[in-house]
Amino acid sequence: MSTQSTRTLVSPRAVSRREAAPTETARKTEYDRRVKLFNRICLGVLIGFALLWLLPIAWALDTALKPNAETTQVTWAIDNPTLGAFARVFTETDMLSWYAASFITSALTALVTVVTGSMAAFALSRMKFRYKNVAFWFILIGIMIPGQVLIVPQFREFDAVNMLNTFWAVVLPQAPTAIAVFIFKQFFDGLPRELDDAAKVEGASGMRIYRTIAMPLSRPAVAAVGIFTFVHTWNNLLWPLLVLSNPKLMTVPVGLATVQGNFGIRYADTMATALLGALPLVAVYLLFQRHIVRGIAGTGLKG
Amino acid sequence: MTTATPTRTAPVRNVSRTGSPDESPRAAAWMLAPFVILYVLFIIGPAIYGLLLSLFDTSLVRGGLGSFAGLGNYQEALASNDFWSSLWHTLWFTILTTPPLIVLAFVFALLADRVGRARWFFRLAFFAPFVIPSAVVALIWIWLYTPGLGLIEAGLGWFGITAPNWLGDPAWAMPSLAITTIWWTLGFNFVLYLAGLQDIPHELYEAASVDGAGPWQQIRSITIPLLGRTTTLVAVLQVIASLKVFDQMYIMTAGGPNFATRSILQYVYDEGFTNFRVGYASAVSTLFFVVILVVSVIWFAIVRKQEKVA
Amino acid sequence: MRNEPIRPVGRRAFLRGAAGLAGLGAAGALSGCGSGSTLAGLSVSHRQEGSLDYWNLFGGGDGVRMVDMEDGFRKSFPNVGLNAVTLAWGNPYYTKLSLATLGQKPPDVAVAHLTRMKTLVAAGLVEELDPAELETAGMSADKFSSRPWQAGLVDGKIYALPLDTHPFVMFYNKDVCKKAGLLDGDTLAPMDSPEAFTEALSKAKKATGAVGGCIAVTNETATPWRFFQSAYSQLGGKVLADEGKRVVFDDDKALEVLAMMQSLSKKQLVPGSLDYEGSIATFANGDAGFLFQGEWEIATFQTAKMPFSMTTFPNIYGGADGYAVQADSHTLIIPKQPDNDPARRRSALEFIKSMLDQSKTWAEGGHVPAWQPFADSDAYRSMTPQSNYAAAADAAVYDPEGWYSGSGSNFEIVVGSSIGAVVAGQLEPKAALRQMHTKLGVLARTAQPT
Repeated sequence: MSTQSTRTLVSPRAVSRREAAPTETARKTEYDRRVKLFNRICLGVLIGFALLWLLPIAWALDTALKPNAETTQVTWAIDNPTLGAFARVFTETDMLSWYAASFITSALTALVTVVTGSMAAFALSRMKFRYKNVAFWFILIGIMIPGQVLIVPQFREFDAVNMLNTFWAVVLPQAPTAIAVFIFKQFFDGLPRELDDAAKVEGASGMRIYRTIAMPLSRPAVAAVGIFTFVHTWNNLLWPLLVLSNPKLMTVPVGLATVQGNFGIRYADTMATALLGALPLVAVYLLFQRHIVRGIAGTGLKG
Repeated sequence: MTTATPTRTAPVRNVSRTGSPDESPRAAAWMLAPFVILYVLFIIGPAIYGLLLSLFDTSLVRGGLGSFAGLGNYQEALASNDFWSSLWHTLWFTILTTPPLIVLAFVFALLADRVGRARWFFRLAFFAPFVIPSAVVALIWIWLYTPGLGLIEAGLGWFGITAPNWLGDPAWAMPSLAITTIWWTLGFNFVLYLAGLQDIPHELYEAASVDGAGPWQQIRSITIPLLGRTTTLVAVLQVIASLKVFDQMYIMTAGGPNFATRSILQYVYDEGFTNFRVGYASAVSTLFFVVILVVSVIWFAIVRKQEKVA
Repeated sequence: MRNEPIRPVGRRAFLRGAAGLAGLGAAGALSGCGSGSTLAGLSVSHRQEGSLDYWNLFGGGDGVRMVDMEDGFRKSFPNVGLNAVTLAWGNPYYTKLSLATLGQKPPDVAVAHLTRMKTLVAAGLVEELDPAELETAGMSADKFSSRPWQAGLVDGKIYALPLDTHPFVMFYNKDVCKKAGLLDGDTLAPMDSPEAFTEALSKAKKATGAVGGCIAVTNETATPWRFFQSAYSQLGGKVLADEGKRVVFDDDKALEVLAMMQSLSKKQLVPGSLDYEGSIATFANGDAGFLFQGEWEIATFQTAKMPFSMTTFPNIYGGADGYAVQADSHTLIIPKQPDNDPARRRSALEFIKSMLDQSKTWAEGGHVPAWQPFADSDAYRSMTPQSNYAAAADAAVYDPEGWYSGSGSNFEIVVGSSIGAVVAGQLEPKAALRQMHTKLGVLARTAQPT
């Protein structure tokens, strides 16, 4: 997709909407009224849908606050509110281990992805070497290969070197993401070259320019790639499901997906587990909302 | 995207465009190495290894490649009902999810753009589910769908509608998974559309309203055509994401009832890791990869065409 | 790709975000330290001393009873930190167990169906058990029912200790059977020929005014298979040979059984379109005289407080010495251990022994105990209706051997769906048999992956 700048278009619009022309005619006011009514209907419909979208989570919370025995009544009323279900999650599941496993694997993956991806991107964007074209296309192939089609050979690989049931088995195959290289490359391509040219004249090496000029200017790209890799690794189910089979080492999604039996039909406990499983990422979302949204809009990153 | 052409001569003069005169090729190699090593070890290597495995009757629990099968695994897959039915389930899921995920996301983004107010709230409502792990989504929706105790059944009953046995009825299981998925991932497309809407110059609407065009006409004649590219992007990302579905089925129905919701990825999982048939599972993976590749190629073709038109 | 929208972020926003992430990190790391072994995921680690990992797949009533038994073990062995994990039933369970064992992190003890255990053994994922060692642990061969014990041997070697046998049985509604004149005191009239069997069902149908008996066939493959396998084995028929490499249907016998099954639905003695839940509900409502299902449904009807009893699946074809009935057993196995730690192994055997000692709790759920000290006791003999069908365990026919066979396997799905279609009237017996030949042929020719 080609470039289309949004920056200049963000605010003027809201302003111009208010400045309806001062020369009023009857037709114009009638038109404005219609527009206003239309906007009001829009708002109503949208609020309706937004509430519908919040409903499942609200219901999960409602259920989790009831005692298990009272979850068989389909009612929003909570007669005996209790936090017992949340407490039981920590005593009866390995939720804390799962948090730790998810955090360690996601943070490590994000770190490795950002560091290796940006370095490679810098070489492709700013450095001069033979076979650059080859390197470029070689990495581009990676965008075409979805990780899901590699689960079988990757599993054999980690089995062969006895590294199943380690966090490295989760991290390493998820860290080299070709798309991250291209996001960084695009970003570096957009940075003014005058800066590093000046540094080069002073004899700075490529690595030095990367560290002292390119990376500090690329915080938005680092944030987008880092947060996305973090969230994506955290939420991945299929691969960790294969390589982590010890309940103590499982990530949150794997733990939730495999160790269901513990609670059986204790719905309040199940909902409390689900909500606590979602909590860290909701926190990440609230903290990094703007980066996440901008990252999606800018790059179309998706799982 | 720009790519430099390889060149042997060290261009001393043209510092301003390409690079420093004394920069050695080794420096670039060092910068590329960490990524390329991981990439070769964990992406390209396994991809080639997977192709190799697909030609053998390799077992998960025995060492070595096993006996050579030639194209036997591919023949078996193409003749297998299970392969085709799980491929069909994946396509059926894609068909059920893609149109609503595009249309609803577009409508919600359009409404949110018009309303202008409280955008953070709508973004929270629609987008927050997207960051939640699939397993959490699954647990919540299993509870919503539970026969006799589920909120949805009760809600429909309130309107006098008898709810089906959502996840238990083979005819309803896939639509139920689709509904869950729409709730889960709509926010992503919503954000993409919202960004696309902000790209549309407001002067166009101004001009249209001077001509007396109502809101609906404006949407039809300005918004929809100008969002063409966003829609292509949304559609392709959506189709590819839907084709890769695994989590929802694995947790919510385990591919059932009676295999009615087994996706192609779960088929790979079942054959490779339950039946230990690594060679065959690799062949199925390769066939699945071809399907994804075809979709990607179609996308590139469409984007090319759009860019020529634009 | 679009170039622009990533705009530089203010330093403050970025720092705030980074601080938040660091906070999360601290929490994660702390909890990691708290749980000890989580950080071990970064290295190839050793297991905790004095702990015992046990995996099972029991949900519902079985799950509740299993938890009771685990608590029983904790009481007897307070020094062993028992870590019991219940995983989702069926294929996902066996997959997880296989992957954990391949990945060098197996549980110390696991439950496995006898018919699935064979595949695990073939894959080299199960520890062999030594008779002398079992003797020392108080679990010698003579303490187990001979049928599940013999069936569980692989090439004469011991890999699994059977906890129970769970045969296909016949539930009957006492009120309906009395009304139909099928009850003589407490004993049910014998149904030892196809005619007598059909006769009994039609009498029951008259009594209920609805249906005679229930067989789940819609979206259900195990039940039709179990019914067929019971009757077909009474005729002496076999399905697979050479560990699944050959399909050896006796066509005449198979057709006879299939025709009998279809005649039941054609005469409307058995509905042709009941799913599992539907068959349970129909019987629980008193709309059927009989239900053919596994004994584990006992708890459902006890809860429903209905006048039911249970007995062995009828001997339709077997005559005097040919009785046979489809069954499987839950066994306890020690998955292949990466470190041969004798202390862990001893502890694992103690755990298994403790489970067997609590066979009474387990038998309440309907399963026929394999542990002779209990199975031979008055306590079990006085347990009704459980002891009514105890004899079924001795006539148990397990699913044929083959890498693709066993409870919930591809085999049961392939065969069960064809048989179900016969009862539903969608396939004629001959067509169904052809279909089974073809589909099983494909599996039989497939190179064995274990």
